Amino acid sequence: MTMKLSGFLNLRRISGQMAALVVTSVVALHLIVTAAFLIHRPDQIDPLVDHGHSQLAATIQLIGTAPAAERPRLLADIARAFPQFGIESLPPGQASAHGPGIHPGLGSLRRRLGPGYRTFWLGAEADSYKVGIVLPDGMMVSARFIPDQRQRSLWTTPWMTTLLFAVISVSLLGLWAARALTAPLSSFAKAAESFSLNGAAAPLPERGPEEIRSVARALNRMRERITNLIDDRTKMLAAISHDLRTPITRMRLRSEFIEDEAHRQHMLGDLDQMRSMLESVLSFLRNDRKLESMTLVDIASALQLITDQFTDMGHKIVYDGPEHFMATVRPDDLHRGITNLVENAVRFGAETTIRLGVGADHLTIEVEDDGPGISDERKNVMLEPFVRGDDARNMDEAKGFGLGLSIARSIVLAHGGELSLKDRQPHGLIVRVQLPVRELRLQSAA
Amino acid sequence: MAMAAPNILVVEDDRETRALIAKYLSANGCNVMTATDGQAMVRAMTDHQVDLLILDVMLPGEDGLSLCRKVRAESQTPIIMLTARGEDVDRILGLEMGADDYLAKPFNPRELLARINAVLRRQSAALTASAAHGATALTFLGWRIDFRLRELRNPAGARVAMTGAEFDLLRTFCERPGRVLSRESLLDFTQGRNAGSFERSIDVLVSRIRRKIETDPQDATMIKTVRSGGYIFTPTVEAVAPAKNT
Repeated sequence: MTMKLSGFLNLRRISGQMAALVVTSVVALHLIVTAAFLIHRPDQIDPLVDHGHSQLAATIQLIGTAPAAERPRLLADIARAFPQFGIESLPPGQASAHGPGIHPGLGSLRRRLGPGYRTFWLGAEADSYKVGIVLPDGMMVSARFIPDQRQRSLWTTPWMTTLLFAVISVSLLGLWAARALTAPLSSFAKAAESFSLNGAAAPLPERGPEEIRSVARALNRMRERITNLIDDRTKMLAAISHDLRTPITRMRLRSEFIEDEAHRQHMLGDLDQMRSMLESVLSFLRNDRKLESMTLVDIASALQLITDQFTDMGHKIVYDGPEHFMATVRPDDLHRGITNLVENAVRFGAETTIRLGVGADHLTIEVEDDGPGISDERKNVMLEPFVRGDDARNMDEAKGFGLGLSIARSIVLAHGGELSLKDRQPHGLIVRVQLPVRELRLQSAA
Repeated sequence: MAMAAPNILVVEDDRETRALIAKYLSANGCNVMTATDGQAMVRAMTDHQVDLLILDVMLPGEDGLSLCRKVRAESQTPIIMLTARGEDVDRILGLEMGADDYLAKPFNPRELLARINAVLRRQSAALTASAAHGATALTFLGWRIDFRLRELRNPAGARVAMTGAEFDLLRTFCERPGRVLSRESLLDFTQGRNAGSFERSIDVLVSRIRRKIETDPQDATMIKTVRSGGYIFTPTVEAVAPAKNT
């Protein structure tokens, strides 16, 4: 029980902070309401602002209860003692002449006089009013009267506006404090959503109440563990790929001593396939960590070189674009990326086109084939690593791990560009690469 | 080939690979010696005449790159590096350390043989060749060809992509400006690289180089065709001091 209570009272915990917030708000509001009450005091008549109404009422009551014979003397005594009231008797008939005039200032006087007395309005003087009073026995007196001046609205007094402002401020502050307490929670959700394996995101800040801090710590530790796990896997994959080169090198050398030429060619084909798979895994793993430096390159001639290389391998491929175009890129990375795209294109289509388009601030490279194309729902999946377009086929025919497109894409992304898959009419696929042009380009005529 | 059987020293730590390379090269007319590490390599080089060194990058003890630099400091013996991977760092480091060529494992043994021949030929030709001998980069008409980085940059400073065969052919032209070179001799100098399945004729390679460097490939002014059957490289070629590329 004490544990629970101390935990609740601990200001570093979220419950303690919530409780403190509630208590502080309640106390602040209570103080404000109390102050408002004390300033306004609707239950008390403030003697300082009474203007002598009570005295006047008492004097009138004194006259009203005195026998008629004593009244002239009493009136004279009162006139001597309270000259400020200017009380004198009125001849009868005045009341009917003036009627029971209702004046808002007379209300408090009537309340003080009690039943049996009537008041009526007689008119204004320099700084006061003249009022007529009918005593219970019908006699009338007149008196000078300073009307009740507290006619202003409760809410327009400076004190009350201040208090109103304070209430609103305290409420808003409370809302703000409550938000500040819970804001880290929504930032956690965002951090978890945006968690990516490249480890670029900064760790969550470990601040706020104790509970929030421990959640942030736990999330940060979890992220560290996941990153380490993936790093270990990556290292293992790289090590395996690396170490496989030695036996493949030996086998390549051994295959040179195979007498049977057909047999030898088959073996070389298998070894080539193994090698290209290893290369693609290694370049996929490398892409995440290491970037080639940017340099000015004649992109048009780089694309023509790829065209030449595939032509030499017996593929039908054409280049369509300017003879020369210079831009700043990572030459070897871009060569590998576009080569991957062309490898896919020549595998699925009979005829391939590499197209270079030049815009004001970007350039577009399109690799177009006339193969079967990719359905819209498969397009996104195809960009993921280890997804092969020819999933119906088995490993015997598949050429790689399905890394080509995702390697190309990450190379393009590292250039600040984008890669998209478009349909070609009537059939086929267009892989469109858009790269920002970073530096001045010099275009020479062909 | 008229050349006498070259003495080749293979430095490779994997026993199987070493034995297989030795067996393959011996079967193709080379005298092969082997070494497992740097110490054995130094011993072999003091005891024997070595015409060419095949050096693995990954070696126990002192690695291939530092061995390469040591050898280069003392002699002009050609070196072909065998790298674990075809990464740029290894390539540039290997060539900056003074290696003449490199091959990424797993390599095609026939390509290794072709490169050995090309490097040896280049070595013997360079000894008698022009002032370009010894330079790591040459310039002509604002173009710059860098042998260490194996790259060509145009007058604007942009890198122009080339295949190995194209580069070797242009290099051959640049090292012999103003001389008529027959197709046969050009083939001889350049078949080292792209040897194997996709070899192109010299004419195709020349037309591809022209497309990259000539203002008008139809009316070539740099690499001119000679009627009697060959080509001549007309620009003036100058050696440049090695400088870092940006």
